[in-house]
Amino acid sequence: MASEALIQLLHVTKRYDVEAPALCDVTMEIAKGEFVFLTGPSGAGKSTMLKLFLCAEPPSSGQVMVFGRDVARIRSSRIPYLRRNIGVVFQDFKLLPDRTVAENVAFPLEVRAISQREVRRRVSVILRSLGLDGKERKFPPSLSGGEQQRVAVARALVGDPALLLADEPTGNLDAERAQEVMLLLHAANARGTTVVVATHDRTMLERHRKRVIALDGGRVVSDGGRVVGDGDAVRRTAGA
Amino acid sequence: MAAASSAMVTQSAGRRGRDVTLLVYFVRRAVEAMWRKPIVTVVATATIFVAVLVTGACAAALTAGERLALGWAGDVSISVYLAPEADLDAARAAVAAAAPGRRVTAIPSARALERLRDSLGKDATLLDGVDAAALPASIEVSAAGLQLADVRALAQRLSRVPGARDVDDGNAWIEGLDGTLSTVRAIGMILFGALALGTAVLVSNTLRLGVFARRDEIEIMKLVGGTDTFVQAPFWLEGLFQGVIGSALAIGALLGAHAIIAPRVSVAARLGSALDRAQLLPTSLLAMLAISGAVLGLVSSAIAVRRHALES
Repeated sequence: MASEALIQLLHVTKRYDVEAPALCDVTMEIAKGEFVFLTGPSGAGKSTMLKLFLCAEPPSSGQVMVFGRDVARIRSSRIPYLRRNIGVVFQDFKLLPDRTVAENVAFPLEVRAISQREVRRRVSVILRSLGLDGKERKFPPSLSGGEQQRVAVARALVGDPALLLADEPTGNLDAERAQEVMLLLHAANARGTTVVVATHDRTMLERHRKRVIALDGGRVVSDGGRVVGDGDAVRRTAGA
Repeated sequence: MAAASSAMVTQSAGRRGRDVTLLVYFVRRAVEAMWRKPIVTVVATATIFVAVLVTGACAAALTAGERLALGWAGDVSISVYLAPEADLDAARAAVAAAAPGRRVTAIPSARALERLRDSLGKDATLLDGVDAAALPASIEVSAAGLQLADVRALAQRLSRVPGARDVDDGNAWIEGLDGTLSTVRAIGMILFGALALGTAVLVSNTLRLGVFARRDEIEIMKLVGGTDTFVQAPFWLEGLFQGVIGSALAIGALLGAHAIIAPRVSVAARLGSALDRAQLLPTSLLAMLAISGAVLGLVSSAIAVRRHALES
């Protein structure tokens, strides 16, 4: 029996201008509980795909279904409620420098009007589980890159999301810290969270044997080792 | 049935709890933002302070002008000039009946001529040979304490007294002042509108700087599922608080200025209680100023945050 699809793309094209589309006729699906890598060279369409998953943009044509909802048809007032099921980790962390670690991590809980007491409890639990206990009152600029990325992961996971999107989450980290972050994502996946990681780090893909969707020029060129387009594109992507 | 009712009560209580949590959160965020960006807070608050202060001072000055006009109007009397054939005593009685409670004085023609001589001083010789009957007899009615509109109404009534030929309400110059005050009031209203608009733009631009400085925070709030209202509400409250603080300070400054200036002007101009706080700065005016300041802050911040919040 096929697993339930959490994300479905049907002939999706995304254009920003008259030039080459960022995504071109992409059809794929990601099942609930999967761990998926999106890979490809810069400009391949990885970030665009994550934006579509996050309902930050509608497709130019085709259909994007997230949690069974058509992204293009969701009323803008409902999008925030859908996003509450999605955790996001950015390459540049997107932490607020003038807020403490605890305040940064608390954001996803505060938008849900959870009581301060419960917010404090959950933030404390997630920080402890990510080895950040004792850093609650620190400000992000005083932390190392690895610690900042762990704070970003903590913020993405504190709301216990069904879907975790990570855009180059280890791009700014050394190998050891990158491995730490990946372990955190794997742990979240083991708890049932669907994880989608956009990366062009081949070492990471080789180390973590998971489904890899390779993109090139806005097209899916291979999916889970299965070549979708022409072989040249796959070779270009592998060399990225 | 009872279980369903109990579930509804629990649900309603849960919603109330969330609303309270949100309100506390919004207030905390607004206060924190004001604390974190003191320059933006001070500039926005000071702008609202100036706008409310100027508006309040203009309103008080207009009221003071009217009070002064009324105070001076108290020295003026209405003169009813009689036809030559009129009976002075009968006319006096009729005037007294038309203006009950007012001081009424009959001035025969001879007394009128005498007064004119006195007023001319050394030029009184010009009146040598002038017959007393050349000047009409008149009745004078004190208009002390009456408002201009009442003076006009009384003069109208007195013009219908038997034997009356002409009525001088003696307020020509006060009417001029009244007209000037009306013009000033109209200009004041236009200026207030322009001031309010200018202040809204100024405060909005100031707050926009604050919003711009916090665009990353807005972006993150939206990415983690913050609704437009959730993102904007702390900014609305921030503007509201700045409006309330700015107008409260302006009201304090107006009351302070009144306490210092009004007693001195009242003594100098012998105005008695005409410049009392309750007359110049009535509670209704102060309340209107407070509400205007708060609304100004609220609207300005709503304008400032709307664009940024909706485009993220």
